[in-house]
Amino acid sequence: MRKFSWNAFKHFWQIHLTVALCTAVATGVLAGALIVGDSVRGSLRSLTTERLGASQHALLADHFFQPDLFQRKPNKVPTILLNGTIVAPQTQARASKVNIVGVTDDFFTLWQADTPPNLNKTPEQPFNAIVINAALQNELNVQVGDTLLVNMSQAADIHPEFLLGERDVANAIQSLRLVISDIIPTKNAGRFSLQAHQSLPFNAFIALPVLQKALGQMDKVNAVLTTDTDAISAADLSLTLESFGLRIKTDENHFDLQSQQYLLKPLLSETARTVAAENRIPTFPTFTYLANTIRANDKVIPYSTIVALPIDEGEFAKLLDMHTTEAQQLAYERTRNIMLFTDADEKEFRRLETEIDRLRRQRRAPGNSKTAKQQRDEANKIGHALHTLEERAKRGGDIVLNTWAAEDLSAEVGDRIIVSYYSVSADEEYIIETVVFRLKGILPIAGIAADRGIIPEFPGIHDTTDMSDWDSPFPIDYALIRDKDEAYWDAYKATPKAFIPLKIGKRIWQNRFGDLTSIRLGIMPDSDIQTTRTHFETEFLKKIQPEQVGFQFLSLRADGLQASAGATDFGMLFGSLSGFIIIAVALLVAMLFRVGVEQRSREIGILQAVGYPLAKIRRRFLYEGAAVAGIGSLLGCLLAVGYAKLMIFGLQTWWLPAIGTPFVALHVNPTSLLSGVLIALAVVMVSIRITVQQLGETSTTALLAGETDFAEITRTLQAKETESSKLLSIAKKIAAAIAAVIFLFFVFFDKWFSDTFGPWIEEPMIDFMMFTLGIIGGGWDAFNRWLNSQRVPKRLNRIRFALKNAARQPGRSRTCVTTISLACCIIVAVGANRHDAPPETEYAFVAESALPLHHSLNTPDGRFELGFSDKDSELLRASEVSPFRVLPGEDVSCLNLYQPEKPQILGAPDAITFSTVLDALQWRTLTSRHLEDGRVPAIGDAKSLRWILHHNPDDDFVIQDAFGKPLRLELETIENSLFQSQLIISEANFMKHFPNQSGYQFFLIKTPPALRAETAQVLEKTLGDYGFDLTSASERLASYRAVENTYISTFQSLGGLGVLLGTFGLALVLFRNIIERRGELATLRAFGFRRRLLARMLFIESCFLLTVGMLIGIVAGVVAILGSQGGLPSFPWVSLTITLLFIFGFGIIANAIAVAVALRSPLLSTLKSE
Amino acid sequence: MEQRREATASIKVSNLSKDFGKVEVLRNISFDVTGGTSVAITGPSGSGKSTLLHVIGTLEDPSIGQIEINNTNPFTLSEPELAQYRNSVIGFVFQEHHLLPQYSVLENVLVPTLAFKRDPSAPQRAQQLLRRVGLTDRQTHRPGQLSGGERQRAAIARALINQPDILLCDEPTGNLDTATTETIANLLFELHNAEKNILIVVTHNLTLASRFDRHLQLVDGKCTIHT
Repeated sequence: MRKFSWNAFKHFWQIHLTVALCTAVATGVLAGALIVGDSVRGSLRSLTTERLGASQHALLADHFFQPDLFQRKPNKVPTILLNGTIVAPQTQARASKVNIVGVTDDFFTLWQADTPPNLNKTPEQPFNAIVINAALQNELNVQVGDTLLVNMSQAADIHPEFLLGERDVANAIQSLRLVISDIIPTKNAGRFSLQAHQSLPFNAFIALPVLQKALGQMDKVNAVLTTDTDAISAADLSLTLESFGLRIKTDENHFDLQSQQYLLKPLLSETARTVAAENRIPTFPTFTYLANTIRANDKVIPYSTIVALPIDEGEFAKLLDMHTTEAQQLAYERTRNIMLFTDADEKEFRRLETEIDRLRRQRRAPGNSKTAKQQRDEANKIGHALHTLEERAKRGGDIVLNTWAAEDLSAEVGDRIIVSYYSVSADEEYIIETVVFRLKGILPIAGIAADRGIIPEFPGIHDTTDMSDWDSPFPIDYALIRDKDEAYWDAYKATPKAFIPLKIGKRIWQNRFGDLTSIRLGIMPDSDIQTTRTHFETEFLKKIQPEQVGFQFLSLRADGLQASAGATDFGMLFGSLSGFIIIAVALLVAMLFRVGVEQRSREIGILQAVGYPLAKIRRRFLYEGAAVAGIGSLLGCLLAVGYAKLMIFGLQTWWLPAIGTPFVALHVNPTSLLSGVLIALAVVMVSIRITVQQLGETSTTALLAGETDFAEITRTLQAKETESSKLLSIAKKIAAAIAAVIFLFFVFFDKWFSDTFGPWIEEPMIDFMMFTLGIIGGGWDAFNRWLNSQRVPKRLNRIRFALKNAARQPGRSRTCVTTISLACCIIVAVGANRHDAPPETEYAFVAESALPLHHSLNTPDGRFELGFSDKDSELLRASEVSPFRVLPGEDVSCLNLYQPEKPQILGAPDAITFSTVLDALQWRTLTSRHLEDGRVPAIGDAKSLRWILHHNPDDDFVIQDAFGKPLRLELETIENSLFQSQLIISEANFMKHFPNQSGYQFFLIKTPPALRAETAQVLEKTLGDYGFDLTSASERLASYRAVENTYISTFQSLGGLGVLLGTFGLALVLFRNIIERRGELATLRAFGFRRRLLARMLFIESCFLLTVGMLIGIVAGVVAILGSQGGLPSFPWVSLTITLLFIFGFGIIANAIAVAVALRSPLLSTLKSE
Repeated sequence: MEQRREATASIKVSNLSKDFGKVEVLRNISFDVTGGTSVAITGPSGSGKSTLLHVIGTLEDPSIGQIEINNTNPFTLSEPELAQYRNSVIGFVFQEHHLLPQYSVLENVLVPTLAFKRDPSAPQRAQQLLRRVGLTDRQTHRPGQLSGGERQRAAIARALINQPDILLCDEPTGNLDTATTETIANLLFELHNAEKNILIVVTHNLTLASRFDRHLQLVDGKCTIHT
């Protein structure tokens, strides 16, 4: 006998074909799943290379800089990258989150295939040109020649949230009217984006000089792209002080270091002072501010410059000493201990002192009606008020006036001088603060007291001829300006009228943008001013890292390709989802192969009888099985490609929410194909090997007699109660006991296990697995016991008779029930996590604005500043807006397929409710904690952290702050909230670590249901220039859920495929059983059973198996969900019931067809003995 | 069951022929049998013995000729009526016992009672029958746990459960050894005598055939000996 018989192979072609088809299904499903993963990854890679063109690296900055500082001359493309909003006046359409790109023709050479579009203005065009991509064209519904209104943030040196920053809507937003000169497809340059996201970007290209001019940043850019493969480093930049926004004013004996942003950033001022100290360069730091008023003796000087400086040091101290008389010194000493109250505060202070006296008297008076507690409360209240007044008085200190101011105020040394000035509140409103000083001295307008070199330039003020021409961002009451003030301005411009100690100046004026306005540096020993300045600059630049001052070095291509590995490995996802199908196929193959072997039991018996060793016979069947499986797996390769195509089609259509954009194209990786083939082949061969191994359990006599039911023979053997069977029985009981102990251990100690073995094995997951295995295992065991039951029913009827038929081939029945129950358990368990009900949230809208808002939507003043009419403002009173600060970054929700590295960070206000699990109080408690090592409390969505960022929430998440330093976020997780795309820190921490980010760009809005439509309309209309986009909060939640539900649908679809395989197996088993039982069925016919009755009984039998399988699966799924989640809060009864009914219906139809086909052949002929 | 009934059954076969397409299996066979008679049908393999038995048992139609059982031509009945008729009038024992392996012996005996309206006395009758065929101790056993002779005895009990007028046996001892054949034959005759039914047995065993009241020998579909 040859190892492999071609004739046998051909003779039993039907069963072999079925086994081969099953192997093909396993291979197809597994390799297909891997190909889907390859396709998603490959498509993301293609998108990455397409959106970046030839650019490899990028130098970005949060400010504008001269592109020449980037020393690599060749292969660099200077650009301006901004975010903005575009309105098409013709169509009234608006697009937000538009990439406004300032480019030259060089930019388009990054995509060699592209011909540069026309960016130049033609003589006929009234306005400059703009080129847009097709995605933006579709959004705006415009054509070439149409006019567009482009809105973007005006580039400003001074931060908008500082007093001198521009926040006025008209000035904060730069609007450009441009004409569309070209529309390019949304591919190559049209797909350009630095953001790794699969969605189509809105791109608008403007000629670089046009944009530079509009922004007032001639010859400057904020990004340089390079095609060089070498990474950009600090060494590639030839930084100057100007690159950091610094400037130096040099005089004979000193030079002044100042900032274009008015305030010197703490990092820069500290570095400058460190360098000066190291090189023994004398320093004189100052902080200049603008006072609204200086008052004394009922006289007022409006709008004066005040300088905070080291009043007791250096030149200033000498000058003061020189001009202070003894009488003035005495007068100053006399008033030193007097509290510095304002008039109102002093009056209140006196009143409170009187109250205290009254309380004291009251306490001593007989018949006092107040209780001790009442008296104590009253005293505490007064004490607190007194403390507040005293603290306020302590804010002030000494002040020095120049002679002009002292004369104007008729002030003498020792007098109270009251200074009022603007500050910007947390919600960006101007508030007037008042501080009381004591006049320490009066200086002539000479020397340092007349030195305007220490005064940085006030934008809109310093270069005006008259005070009445001031164009300041803050409100000015021009009526207060007197002729003498104009005369002073004419003579001395912004020369300070008052000086206060630097310590006090810093205390009252310092903010997150800076703590000084100027540092005067002297000459280092044995040197001259020029050498000192050069040396200082060199040493200063050495100490500053570009990343600390807003430069970023991006490895665009490498990072992009790394991110294209994807947050979700679709190959693994589909592969793991398909794992169940592989199990189903393995069971089916084992069963089919067994049927094939059983068909040939006589052949095996004869071979054994004539002396063939069992091992040889087994090998023969194994080779045959291997050949069949091999052919099947080859066929499976084709099926894999087809399956992958089907899955990709599904992702592009039915499951589109999972990927957002239909961008996935088929990418077949031979390695994945081979892996799929080998794994499926291995699984199938193991099934075949186990089946072949069972050949030895059957006696030759039984085989020669044509016995086909292994199980029956086994049962017969068991009935003989051999020693080995007793041992086997004991072993089974021990195994069952161990399984029960493990089950109970995991049910009761799941939390301990989860805590010990890491967050990836969640407590509910362990519970789920344990309950599933427990219930489904119990169900199978009960069914198995019933199959093997020897019990005789007291009363036999047709139904019982039909059901008992299921026990005829216990192995086959078990396989069918196992497959169907597993599939149903998965369908139920997965489906239970589906959210059919619309998501609920207390918020009506989520809004995002392309440009930051600097005024509150919650106050009438803020709404007025933002341009709302009185009527609209009144409407908005009914809404409550929670504004968030935004650090731009990547979407970390399931909506982004790329692997994000730099998440978007939100700065959340104190009064915010994140979800049902974290209210405002808990948030405040969380953020008010003082963590070690400068760590910052943060909130992240549990699923986003785990599945998209692939981060263990128990570990700190590290981001980079605005100074290039690592910032560790200690995470608290929330679930199913509106914050699945970002990480959140408190607003205070946000401003501390990202001081340059201005305004609010993310909003949660509570609005009564009846006013929602009107409110949305008003907000989008009025804030259109900001690119203010509203989304229904429940729709936003629904979009996250849609992804989750889509994954669930995918899983359920694959589970459904598993059920189909199980049902196919069931129908096949039924068909095979009928063929094998023809003799029995014919006997029944002979005894008067009608064909229809036989059909009904066979149908009941198969439906019974289907029902048992489904019931075990459903019960296991429901109990597992109940056990692991503690309830069924939003169980999707409707969709799940429909799915299960569909499965049941399909099973019934398949069984009915199998019965009808099998009973069609004549039965009675099998009864004849001849 | 214990009560002996009157031997009123009758079979009248007139000019019976049966063909399967071009193959003529039975040719012009005629005979009568009355109640209480036992008939052995012998003949070489392929002579048409089983086909004759199946036609008598109404499992197959005659091509030509007529059969009357208890003065009724069963082939004029509709399919449901014929099924019911067969269930109540005819009992079968085959060479292959065709017992259902998933059921106990008792359940197997009861199977014919399930084809139509439930008979409450059937279980009791089944147990009596099992006692008579000597399988009382084996009634809860499965066919796989019985010997060949026991299986055939169970098949005989199953054939008699509905107290048929006619018991048709197709080589009931064909797969059995001599001793068991003797036992089964004795049992068949014992039950036949008790039931007073018509017993028709197809057999190759001429010794066994000699014990029957009448003997039909078939050769090439023709009846050559008719006693």
